[in-house]
Formats: sequence, structure tokens, C-alpha cells
Amino acid sequence: MRRRLGVPITAALAVLLLDVCPHTAVHAAGDPQGAVQPDQTLAIVVNQSNPVANLTLQELRTVFLGERSHWPNGRRITLVMLEPGQPERKAILREIYRMNENDFSRHFLQGLFTGEVFVSPKTLATPVGVRKFVFNVPGAIGYVRASDVDESVKVIRVDGHLPEDKDYGLRLQPHAVK
Amino acid sequence: MLSRTFDPNRPVRSGGTIARRALPFLLGILLTAPLPAQQAVAETASDQQTIQMLLQRIDRLEARVAQLEAARQAAPQPSAAKLESAALALVPAQSPAQMTAQAAPPVPPATVPESRVEPELEHPEPERMDMSKTLLRIRGFGDMSLSGSNASGRTTSFGLGQLNLFITSDISEKFKFLSEIVFESGPDNFYEVPGGRSNQFSVDIERYLLQYSYNDYFNLAVGRYHTAIGFYNTAYHHSTWFQTTTGRPLLFQFEDTGGILPIHNVGVSASGRLPSGPLGLHYVAEIGNGRASRSPLQDEPVQNEVDENNHKAFNLALFARPEAVHGLQIGFSGYHDLLTPIAAPPVSETILAAHAVYMVPNFEWLNEVMVVRHSPQGSARVFDTPGFYTQISKRFGSYRPYFRYQYINAPNSEPIFPNVGLRAGPSVGLRYDASESVALKLQYDYNTLRAQPAVNGLTLQLGFTF
Repeated sequence: MRRRLGVPITAALAVLLLDVCPHTAVHAAGDPQGAVQPDQTLAIVVNQSNPVANLTLQELRTVFLGERSHWPNGRRITLVMLEPGQPERKAILREIYRMNENDFSRHFLQGLFTGEVFVSPKTLATPVGVRKFVFNVPGAIGYVRASDVDESVKVIRVDGHLPEDKDYGLRLQPHAVK
Repeated sequence: MLSRTFDPNRPVRSGGTIARRALPFLLGILLTAPLPAQQAVAETASDQQTIQMLLQRIDRLEARVAQLEAARQAAPQPSAAKLESAALALVPAQSPAQMTAQAAPPVPPATVPESRVEPELEHPEPERMDMSKTLLRIRGFGDMSLSGSNASGRTTSFGLGQLNLFITSDISEKFKFLSEIVFESGPDNFYEVPGGRSNQFSVDIERYLLQYSYNDYFNLAVGRYHTAIGFYNTAYHHSTWFQTTTGRPLLFQFEDTGGILPIHNVGVSASGRLPSGPLGLHYVAEIGNGRASRSPLQDEPVQNEVDENNHKAFNLALFARPEAVHGLQIGFSGYHDLLTPIAAPPVSETILAAHAVYMVPNFEWLNEVMVVRHSPQGSARVFDTPGFYTQISKRFGSYRPYFRYQYINAPNSEPIFPNVGLRAGPSVGLRYDASESVALKLQYDYNTLRAQPAVNGLTLQLGFTF
């Protein structure tokens, strides 16, 4: 009898939990370990020869803003971006640049104008193009969805986390308020 | 070294296993169902771009091979294996779907065939200019205005502002050329002494630099540059479109429009970061000809080719961009030169400047203060000209209202710029960004002058980049 009552009570609690805390419920229902879907996170990719394995979000910001121009191995940093309008680019502008498209354009134009930015970002149409570019250019850094990663490029950790980690910060959609 | 490993148990790879099992079924679907035309067009465009990129890369590698062959005629021809390995580097990386379709086992990064990476390591980007095509990039800036004031001798006029061709060229991975070629209508105005003719265009090469970038900590530029005094001078250069306001602060007026600072200099400039962690310290060290002593006043103020004396002007600037407050920059600079006016004793010139600037896309607050000290040799007297400005603006959509207050107070008997005197007052205006590249600004200025009536001015300006 006690066991029979336990099942509906557990189900009711689960329904209540789903209703009150949908974010937690998704993890509980779909992914017990809290891992995020690879097509919903952005992987920061560099050339396989790049010795850098981890960057803080702040360091990543300075790299993407063009405020840092060289890797520790002396290679010039070449930033590759996806074309405007793509969700990956929107996420990068939101999470790293904290700018809109106009501000982004103006930032790099002014950086080139002042001489502080040595090379403007390259723009490619597809994640495949980004992977190929990063594969071919030793100092390149770019981003693709984690589901688009293959072994031709190297994924670096951001604040110590890889895209599949629960606490990884670079997601396609803004973080849900818990 | 941390690198991502590809665990077959992870979702991406488990998808690959599924794909292998479902491959015959998927192939059947693909063979019987035509792809939508839109997708085909998109893929074609993507492939075209990729092909173009690879072709360019092949061109570069071929040029590199030709260069090596010319340089090492005695050396044996590259082996077929070597060329093959270089070509392998050009093989486009396969998509995850392709890889799974081939049922290839996951390969950890450490075991990626070296032949695919090695050519890149052995042959980095060629350190030479490809003579077969121009590497010039040109960006333009311009402005037009309608302005009027109650200053004596001024009329309400339409005016063509500076037409600025900003030209850069990536000569190699380490070297870059940068210049600003500016077309502007005269006349020049050297401390209220007009030079040149009205309504006549002239050409000035405002910046002319060969830059060398060694790393984040050391960059070198040789040529004509904007002196790193304060913040404004190296932030906006000759583009009114970049500026929030219709014009530069009085302190940073160009030499040929009555400015008191050596805005331009010809010489060598070193700059870079300083190892300082989150403090974000940077330095700029410059040595150059400095400016002419302006005797007579009509002389070109920038010593492009000949310095009037052997003393070189030097400038040292330090500034911090703390990581904790993105957009904040605090710094100071010290500049020293010796001016040698005709029929007068040499004058030692020292300029000390400090700034605190906070700039983010939606808000800016600029504050700069400086003092220009002139000390005629053989005299105990010094002439200090203090000045400052503060400017604040906030963006509301496409609109950005702004306010600026500025102040300069030069002694009446100042030996180098005798006609500057006191100039102070507020400016208020509104900038409207009509598009990503065009800005319309309306600005009202009120300036008090020493022993003269105050001046009211109104300017409507169209600034743009192209």
C-alpha cells in the first residue's frame, strides 16, 4: 500500500516541479547530468598547433575585440566571424562583444583607423568555411556550434569549461533565469 | 596541453554511430528525393566561396614555391612527397556528417596526420607582398556643414569639410602601411593669421606610417603620426564621422586651424602593452621633429622634412584600461621639445596631459586636462597655458545628445601662440545616425573670449564614411 501511494505522489511532485521550475525539469527529464545540447552551445575553435587551451571570458573578449594581437607562440591572431544574421554570430555579439552589428562594425573600423587593430576580422558564410579557415591559418580563432566541431580544429576551454559542460557560458540562446 | 577529445559515447559521436547504421536508408532517400532548390543554391554559394579561398591559398603557395626555387637554384627540386603533403593541407576538412558517413573511427587531435598540419608550420604566411595584385584598402570619410556665428567677419556658409582617404595595406604578417590623405579647402588659420586662399582645395598627408607589429608588447611605427598627447588626438584623427560632436575640442584643434598642440609629428613611435595583468597598462614612446616654432607664423607647422634644430621632440604616454571596467581608460603623457624661433631665444616646450575616459557604445564621458609650458632660455619667466574639456553623451536609439565644456587660457604675452588668449564655453548638440554610415549633427557653441564679445555659433553637419 505504501509503495502504491508512493508512485502517484512521486508523479505529482514531478509535475509540480515541471510547472514551478521548468529549467531544472528539462535537465531532470532529458539530461540527468545537466549537459547541454551541442547544437545549442558555441565552441571557440583555434588551429590545432595553437598551444592555448583555456581562456577566461575576459581574455576571450580582448582577443575578439582585437585588443590582443598575438598568441603566446608569436602567431598573429586572425579572427574569423560568421556573416551577419547568423545565430552563432548573434550569440557572440551578445555574449562576448556586448554590441550590436553597427557597434561591432564601428569598433573595428575605429580600431583600424587608430592603428590599434592590425587586421580586421575575416567573415565567412558557413561553419564549414570557418573550420577550414581555422585549420589552414595557424593563428586563427573562430566559433562554431559545438555540434559542428570536428578534429580538424581545436576547441579551447572558456573559464575552464568545454561546450558540453553544464557551466559553459557561450550558448546560442540567452541564459534562462533560474 | 588541454584539447578536446572526441568521446564516441558523447551525443555527437553517438549520432555518428546511428548515421552509420542508417546510412543505406539515408542513401536511398537521397537518391530518390531531390534536394530543395534553395538549399542547393546556398550550398553552391558556400562552395564557391570555399573554392575561392582555396584557390587564393594555392596561388600563395605557388608563389612561395616559385620564390624558394628562385632563391635556391642549386637546391634539389621539392620532392613529390613534399608537394603532396602541402596539397594535403589544402584538402578541405570534412564535415561531421561526411566523416560519420565514411564510418571513420574518431581520431583524437594528437593523432591527426602530421602531413596535414606540418606544411602550415613549416611555411607560415609568406613575409612578402604579392606583386600580382594591390593590397590597398581605402576607406573614406567626409563631412559637409552649414554654419554661422556672430563673430566679426564670419558669414553663414555652406562648407565642405575634410575629404579623408584612409588607406592601409597589409604588406605582410608583421608590416602594414597606413595613411590619411586629406583634401580640404583653405585658408589655413595659424593663430588667427590666415594663410592660403579661401575656397581653394589643398592636399595634406596627415598620417603616413609604416607599422611593424612584433607582438602585443612592442609595435613600431615610422613616419608621420598623431602625437600621443592625451586621448582625443589618437582616437579620432581626421574623421568627423567618428566624433560625436561637429568638431574637435579647442585643445586638439589642428595646427593649421589655430591649435596649440603639436598634433602631428614626424619620427618614430613605439607602443604596446605592459605586463600588468588586469590593470591593462599600455605605453607609447615617441621621438620626432616636433613642431616648428612658427616664425614667421605662415610657415608649415609640421616639420615633415627638415627640423629647425637638432633637438628632437619626445613624448611618453602611459595609460591603463582596467579589465574590471571595460571602456575605462586613464592615462597621462609628457612631451618635451625645443623651439628655435628666428630673432628670439630658444623656447623650451613642455606639455603635460592627463585624461580619464569612459566609453561604451551607449555612453561616453571624456575628460582631459593639460598644461603647455613655454620657457624662453635665458629668462626666468615661464608661460603656462592650461586647458581642459569635459564631454558627455548618451545614446537613445539613433539619437545621441551631447554636452561639452572647454577652456583654454593662454597668457597675453605667450611667445609661441600670442593670439590664443582665453577661450571657454559650453557646446550642446544632438547627433542623429541616419544610417550605419551617415550622421547628422546639430551643435550650438558659446565661447567667451578675453577682451572681446562672446561668440555664439550654430553648426549643422553631415558626417559620413564610405
